[in-house]
Amino acid sequence: MERVELNREGLVLPATAPNVAADHEEIDRTPVRTYWQLARQRFVQHRLAVIALVVLVVLVALAYIVPLVTGPLFGRTNLAKIDAPATLEAPLGYDELGRNTAVRLMKATQTSLTIGFAAVLIIVGVGSLVGSIAGYMGGIVDNLLMRFVDIVLSLPVLFIILMIVALFGAGNVWVVIIAIGITGWTLAARLIRAEFLALREADFVQAARALGAGHRRIVLRHMLPAAMAPLVVAAALGVADSVITEAALSFLGFGISSPEASLGNMLTNAQEYFYSAPIRAVYPGLVLVLIVLCASFLGDGLRDALDPRQRIGK
Amino acid sequence: MTAGAGTRRGRAGVRTARGVPPASGDGANLLELRGLRTHFFTRDGTVKAVDGVTFEIGNGETIGVVGESGCGKSITAMSIMRLIERPGQIVAGNVVMHGRDLLKLSDEQMRDVRGNQISMIFQEPMTSLNPVYTCGDQIAEAVQLHEGVSRRQAWSRAVEMLQQVGIPDAKRRAGEFPHQMSGGMRQRVMIAMALSTNPELLIADEPTTALDVTIQAQILELMKALRERNKMAIMLITHDLGVVAEMADQVVVMYAGKVVERSDVTTVFERPHHPYTEGLLRSIPRLGERRARLEVIRGVVPNPLNLPTGCLFKRRCPYRMPICDTAPPFQEVRPGQYSRCWLTPEHEPPTVGLSPAPEVAEEEAERLTVAPR
Amino acid sequence: MARYVFRRTIQALPIFFGISVIVFMVIHLAPGSPVDRFRVPRVSPAQIQRLIELYGLDKPILQQYVSWVTTFVQVWRPEAWGYSFLDGQPVLEKVVTRAPATLRLMGTALAVTVLLAIPVGVLAAVKQYSWTDKIITTFATVGYAIPSFLLGIYILFFGGVVLPQWTGGRFGFPLFGMESFGKQGDVLDLAWHLVLPVTSLAIQQISGWARFMRSSMLEVLHQDYVRTAKAKGLPRGRVLGKHALRNALIPVVTLLGLSIPGLLGGAAITETIFSYPGLGSMFVESVGSRDYPVVLALTMLGGFTVVFGNLLADILYGVVDPRIKY
Repeated sequence: MERVELNREGLVLPATAPNVAADHEEIDRTPVRTYWQLARQRFVQHRLAVIALVVLVVLVALAYIVPLVTGPLFGRTNLAKIDAPATLEAPLGYDELGRNTAVRLMKATQTSLTIGFAAVLIIVGVGSLVGSIAGYMGGIVDNLLMRFVDIVLSLPVLFIILMIVALFGAGNVWVVIIAIGITGWTLAARLIRAEFLALREADFVQAARALGAGHRRIVLRHMLPAAMAPLVVAAALGVADSVITEAALSFLGFGISSPEASLGNMLTNAQEYFYSAPIRAVYPGLVLVLIVLCASFLGDGLRDALDPRQRIGK
Repeated sequence: MTAGAGTRRGRAGVRTARGVPPASGDGANLLELRGLRTHFFTRDGTVKAVDGVTFEIGNGETIGVVGESGCGKSITAMSIMRLIERPGQIVAGNVVMHGRDLLKLSDEQMRDVRGNQISMIFQEPMTSLNPVYTCGDQIAEAVQLHEGVSRRQAWSRAVEMLQQVGIPDAKRRAGEFPHQMSGGMRQRVMIAMALSTNPELLIADEPTTALDVTIQAQILELMKALRERNKMAIMLITHDLGVVAEMADQVVVMYAGKVVERSDVTTVFERPHHPYTEGLLRSIPRLGERRARLEVIRGVVPNPLNLPTGCLFKRRCPYRMPICDTAPPFQEVRPGQYSRCWLTPEHEPPTVGLSPAPEVAEEEAERLTVAPR
Repeated sequence: MARYVFRRTIQALPIFFGISVIVFMVIHLAPGSPVDRFRVPRVSPAQIQRLIELYGLDKPILQQYVSWVTTFVQVWRPEAWGYSFLDGQPVLEKVVTRAPATLRLMGTALAVTVLLAIPVGVLAAVKQYSWTDKIITTFATVGYAIPSFLLGIYILFFGGVVLPQWTGGRFGFPLFGMESFGKQGDVLDLAWHLVLPVTSLAIQQISGWARFMRSSMLEVLHQDYVRTAKAKGLPRGRVLGKHALRNALIPVVTLLGLSIPGLLGGAAITETIFSYPGLGSMFVESVGSRDYPVVLALTMLGGFTVVFGNLLADILYGVVDPRIKY
């Protein structure tokens, strides 16, 4: 038997036991990560989403802390300071009634965000209730509920909201919240239903059923948490949608009206001073766009992080 | 003992391992791949999907390219067609056809090669045809483009091709959409489309994998018949050695982006040299043979981002030796048979005092089979 | 085809029914009564009572609903939708008078959207990761995030106030209305008045459509049949324009139906901002003054438009996708 030609590295190899230790280092040692670790990793890679989250957190903090500290200052008029320029305690100047614009803007942001969050609670609540019942029960119940979703989906949303708000009491925060909430839950319901239809047949649900778990337990403990991902994304986008709708309502004069502050009524107000102080229309608009942009980036990031398969059509 | 001759050739093989094994010599090569490298530059690192692939396809020859999924056989085909897209890139090598390097052609010149001199059919007949155009339209489009004939002539050629690939009532079928046909029918349409311009080389990427067994046989028969009639060469990519035995003259075995063995089909089946080829052959179930369980190649294909040093197959190899930590050369082990392995032509370990330690290798391989998903 | 359209129309009827129930319930549940506006010292209680009987407000709710619906569908009668509380005009007539303005506004916005968004979206997809793509994507993202009423205010301000200032009053867009006084029927004048409202209505639509078009095209570009087309040796333009685009357009058709509710709401706001005499501004006025017959009629009309848009999208889907069977 002849030896095969070896290259240089081959000849210097030790002729004894194979180099097991060296080989270990080559083995793929990607650590096994949990769902949440992976989700966080994917989210952090989404640079825009991280920035959006930071901006939103700052905005929310400002919107809730500033009015808390300054109390009723947002509505206090001061004849001496009508249209006064910016100072340290009023970085955005004063408006036509001598109110501190910056403080008023933060109060308005608070109102808008509160309405947005509250409306999303209704959206998520009604959506997951209808969606989980339809998806869990299937059959005729599913069919009926989905026809109902189709009907609500066919409503001219803004018309209905305007109608509800106008007829049930314009200016009432609760009416605005409910009007936005009960017209906006269809997307959440559809998402949850789709998840549930798939989860119903999933092994762990079958296992829970085999172990004798009751319907309530199966839905609440096993299925709802698993269906969370699309709901979280829908909620993030829902806040933005609700904030816009509220602003539009207030802008048209049906939502929150002065002396209360909202982004919408600040815009209406600013419209009258187009010629003298156009910048006043920019502040509330900027906050509005910021909220919507951040929510949409956050939604994208959350979707990629929580559920890479899911793509909500826009 | 034939070892003498084998080894003499083996030396020659070592010499050429750096570059290219000698061509068959009669100058009858239709296509020559030389040191082709196609890499994918991903965020996680560079994937060397095709890493120095060299082989040639003779005129009218059928060459089977075999390997597990992810070994780079499809990427090789796509590289020949220059259909690699970002983040992939052909970084080195030549693809020579009729004395021209296809990789150096302008885009326009290359378009004239595609679908004209080289045609390609794909694994998934279900998705490879455009759902919104009729089958006849899609065939006629290629004909019209490359032959410069009228729309009407192209259409009648399409109908003719559909007849040739055995589609009954071709005239009517030409006006149908892909979704109105079965998988086998669609693959026939793909073949008709590929052959409508009389290519010199047909690249078939797993043409029967997605089909039922009976349909598979029909499609293979069809390809054989058309090969005879059109006198074309075929590059048949498959992981199914049965298909190779049925169709191929020459066999190229690929593993992790490299060619690990190549020879004529009889030799591969009778005297495979590379342990990977052996493993592939052993994992075919055979009629009449009773075995406790089907043998499989242990372990998994290495992570392309984290390839082992030395021989790429060593972690799964039953013959593993210390020398395997050094990359083996691609050498001729017997006349016409090339292999990328340190084993001698007789399957003995090379005798530089390097003792094989199969037990250790086995342990390692066992451990690897339970590696994290 | 005709049978399919017929079947889908029949399937839409329960949805109309559902919409009518919901709208009727909202009005019925609302505090106060439609006759409240007449409760002024000048009107005697007996007259109020006569009004209540006239409107049938003393009847059981089901009966009220049935009589409303059965009258509402008789659109060939001018009084089918009742009379406006504000001016006593038949609602149907008011709607018919105002409808062309809104149709013109929405139609133009939609046409502009389709003409701009599709090429822009395709361009971004074909040049993925390039600067062109980045710029388009950024604009589309921001454009989608700006609520249409906000955009309306800014555009009104820019086109109607800033632009005339800059140009010394020589150039500027009309701030309100549909046509200039004394120029009724002048097509150029109508178009001139449409520029600002259409811009503010269309930008959000264009952004949404362009993003959708881009992702649809990107998905198609990774399909096997596009690879087949390239492997055939087709030139790039042919691969993109024939094989990819045709498939990428299929899902975009559904947007036609999906964007109708947004367009309707946007039209209501835009028309109000620009004092444009269409149905949207009419709705906002009537809902503010509790003009029940007009509110009812316009909400039902809005629901009809949404359902019709979805129906149209479904039918078009069948036309562009040969895989859909009727």
